Amino acid sequence: MTDQPAKSITKPTSRRSILKGLGAAAIGISFVGKKSSAWAAEEPKLNFYNWDTYIGETTLETFKKASGIDVNMSLFATNDELFAKLRAGNPGFDVIVPGSEFVERMIQANLLEPLDHAKIPNIKNIAPEFMTDAPFDPGRKYSLPYTWLVIGIGYRKSKVKSTPDSWKVLFDSDEYKGRIAVMSDASELFRNCFKYLGGSINSDDPELLKKAEAMLIKQKPNIKAFHEDNGQDLLLSGEVVVVQEYNGDIAQIMTEDEDINFIVPKEGAMKQQDTLAIPKGAPHPENAHKFINYIFEPEVGAEITKTILYPSPNAAAVALMPDSYKNNPVVFPPADLMAKCEYPRYLGPEFTRLLDEAMTRLRAD
Amino acid sequence: MAQRRAPLEYNRMWQMRLWLFGVFFFLYAPLVALVAFSFNNSKRNTVWRGFTFDYYVKLFNDQDLLIAFANSLTIALLATLISLVIGALAAVLLWRYRFIGRTVVEGTFMLPLVVPEICMGVAMLLFFTRVLPWPNDLPWPLSLGSIIIAHVSFCFPFVALVVGARLASFNKEQDEAARDLGANDWQAFRDVLLPHIKPALIAGGLLAFTLSLDDFVITFFTSGPDTITFPVKVYSMLRFSVTPEVNAASTMLILLTIVLMILMMVMQSRGQKKG
Amino acid sequence: MATRTQERRLAFLATALPPIAWVVVFFLAPLAIVWAYSFGQNAGLTEVDISGTFANYTRALQPLYLGIFAKSIFVAGLTTLLCLIIGFPVALSIVFASEKWRAWMLLLIMLPFWTNLLIRTYALIAVLRTEGYVNFTLEWLWDNASWFMTLVGLQPLGDFTPLQLLYSNFAVVVGLVYVHLPFMVLPLYAALDRLDRSLIEASLDLGAGHLRTLWSIVVPLALPGIISGIIITFVPALGAYLTPDLLGGPDSQMIANVIERQFKKANDWPFGAALSFLLMYATFAAIALRAYYSRGSAAPGHGI
Repeated sequence: MTDQPAKSITKPTSRRSILKGLGAAAIGISFVGKKSSAWAAEEPKLNFYNWDTYIGETTLETFKKASGIDVNMSLFATNDELFAKLRAGNPGFDVIVPGSEFVERMIQANLLEPLDHAKIPNIKNIAPEFMTDAPFDPGRKYSLPYTWLVIGIGYRKSKVKSTPDSWKVLFDSDEYKGRIAVMSDASELFRNCFKYLGGSINSDDPELLKKAEAMLIKQKPNIKAFHEDNGQDLLLSGEVVVVQEYNGDIAQIMTEDEDINFIVPKEGAMKQQDTLAIPKGAPHPENAHKFINYIFEPEVGAEITKTILYPSPNAAAVALMPDSYKNNPVVFPPADLMAKCEYPRYLGPEFTRLLDEAMTRLRAD
Repeated sequence: MAQRRAPLEYNRMWQMRLWLFGVFFFLYAPLVALVAFSFNNSKRNTVWRGFTFDYYVKLFNDQDLLIAFANSLTIALLATLISLVIGALAAVLLWRYRFIGRTVVEGTFMLPLVVPEICMGVAMLLFFTRVLPWPNDLPWPLSLGSIIIAHVSFCFPFVALVVGARLASFNKEQDEAARDLGANDWQAFRDVLLPHIKPALIAGGLLAFTLSLDDFVITFFTSGPDTITFPVKVYSMLRFSVTPEVNAASTMLILLTIVLMILMMVMQSRGQKKG
Repeated sequence: MATRTQERRLAFLATALPPIAWVVVFFLAPLAIVWAYSFGQNAGLTEVDISGTFANYTRALQPLYLGIFAKSIFVAGLTTLLCLIIGFPVALSIVFASEKWRAWMLLLIMLPFWTNLLIRTYALIAVLRTEGYVNFTLEWLWDNASWFMTLVGLQPLGDFTPLQLLYSNFAVVVGLVYVHLPFMVLPLYAALDRLDRSLIEASLDLGAGHLRTLWSIVVPLALPGIISGIIITFVPALGAYLTPDLLGGPDSQMIANVIERQFKKANDWPFGAALSFLLMYATFAAIALRAYYSRGSAAPGHGI
């Protein structure tokens, strides 16, 4: 509050104007106050757009008890669905769970709301490397890690001749002819090929892509299926013996069949995060922040992890998990192999088109 | 010599019976297995591990699935009703009147049958976000409006086809006679045409109901956070963790179908007794 | 009081306006938007710039995509043919069944049709996969045959290798036939139902065998129904997406799968729009051809 006694003496009319100004300011403040209190008093609802079975069994209920907010969870099956739904305009979602590569795309397409870290004090529970090592969202302005994953090789121990510790088994050899399944997503398939061919996950060299495509076309007679996220079922039911899959998915079926194991190939692989983010135009941003903060509570995180068994970036939650999880080399692969893994960056529309055409050619042969 | 079979009794021929048996076995064996595995005591669906009702219990406690199911039924019901009106009007229009551009109109009505589902799905998505935004917080069931509209668009041609086929066998002169005798067009429609096309309306209605209940692609593109439907929910369950709960849900759906069909047959036979 | 003509006109409008308005607003308009998109290109990640370019169509007519079109047409055609061959006797049997049986048979044919497509396809997976019912039965037969042969003193058969039925073109065709069979049976039944049976009896009395009667008398008279059945089966089979997606193998992609990828992973909506429209033009051409053909031969086949 500025003090201007001198002015009031020299300019008589200025007091009136000061009063006017104060009055206007007062009205203005009360106006703003009304607005922000209206925001704070959002209706107690939340629209949560999530993957199926990707939340704890009681998480939403306990959140409602703790905060009074009713969570309405809808499901999507792939990141592309999520993106397709949002690109035409947010139909009312408050919290979404995009993969890390899509976070980058969505930031570029201006589809995400920046997160207010001050409203999410439980960020302190997140293992620090996840806050700093996030090339797709520097400073974690728009997203926070929910789970992390790495792609590797799931295999049936009794049916393999030796531990399949290289991508060669899937991409370049007929050792398991007719009993191989690889991923059907162009990015996930080809980029891991890049690793095998000595390149980087984020290489945008068309020549390297051509080499990978030629190699896979040669390998195609040995491949049984291009699976879309159900590779672990194929392995479990005996359709295939080696499969390219996420470590979390394999960890889930390992509880049902002890003959199954997982390994990250020695050339390195693609690692991923599934993140929590708030799309632009979310009708309940305050509730969204509260929900995200709640998820990073240690007990809540532990409960979620118990259900979905994926690697969790929530260090406090991991501390509460049993040893069978904490020391599981499938859930937390050895550091030397993880050091060779990279997050996928969004390489632009032109390379995306090249990837898709390569996939079309591969499938058309 | 063996008893001479009447010439048209195809069903007495053993080849025919074998063929029929084969076809019905082919159609039903997978479904029977599906129902059987709904009692499977295993989280995954791949190997039999013992008998249990657990997944039915889970089904009836699964709010999301039940809501999705209710949504699908509501959409199917409303879409069928609207399709019946629009389809019947379309069929009558083409049958009763001659006007300029009739062939074009006829072709346009049949267009939804040949458009790939995915094309229609995207078209509806664009339409309901860019041209005619459907408000997000309408009360149920109005919130399902965009899906219902999309469903009507691809269901009514089927109704029109079925009703049109029935009308083709109707003697136009009866209709004209009624009108000449002083009944206005509406009365002629109500008292002469309507009774005749009633079986076609029932058949067309059932067809529309089925198509709507079964649809996935178009529904996916037009649904939003509050309007998840049964096929979309099942698809995401299939993609992720296929538990026998999906089988249990399908079994319930099949049961519902059987009940509805029996109902329809009862209604039809009653209608025939009256007429 | 309105005059007769005025009242008639009013009735005409009342009949014409609802369906026409609906079709224009809720069908043609959305399609027009997609049509416009096919002449556009991606401007940034979410916007599409309608620039009147033909680039998408040029790209769609490359051999890569034309080949996929051709393959889809082949698969759909094969499916339709199989449905016709399998479904015709079934329709015949229903038509000639007694009243009581007929209702039951129609019900039984329709029932699988009412089950959700996803679920039916998923049920087929359980049947066809390596540890599925087909292989299970075959293995049981194999083992018993082997046991029998040892009993009789012969060498037992070797180990049973399960058939790889799933994730192949075979599985896709089986799946498509499974899903579309009821679609074919109904129009066939409707057409055969209207047939004048005395003609068949006459033909048989005159000495023609069953097959000859079928071919020369029944099929031509039921032709309109057969053609309806063919169209109702072929068109959806051509645009099938879920079945090749769930049951198909590495080389089983059909045109609908490619289109779906454009709208999802590849994020190239203009190209997807162009592909969809090419598919539609092809279908229209086929139907127009059929309409032209049947108009020429309309006279002789018409109600005897």
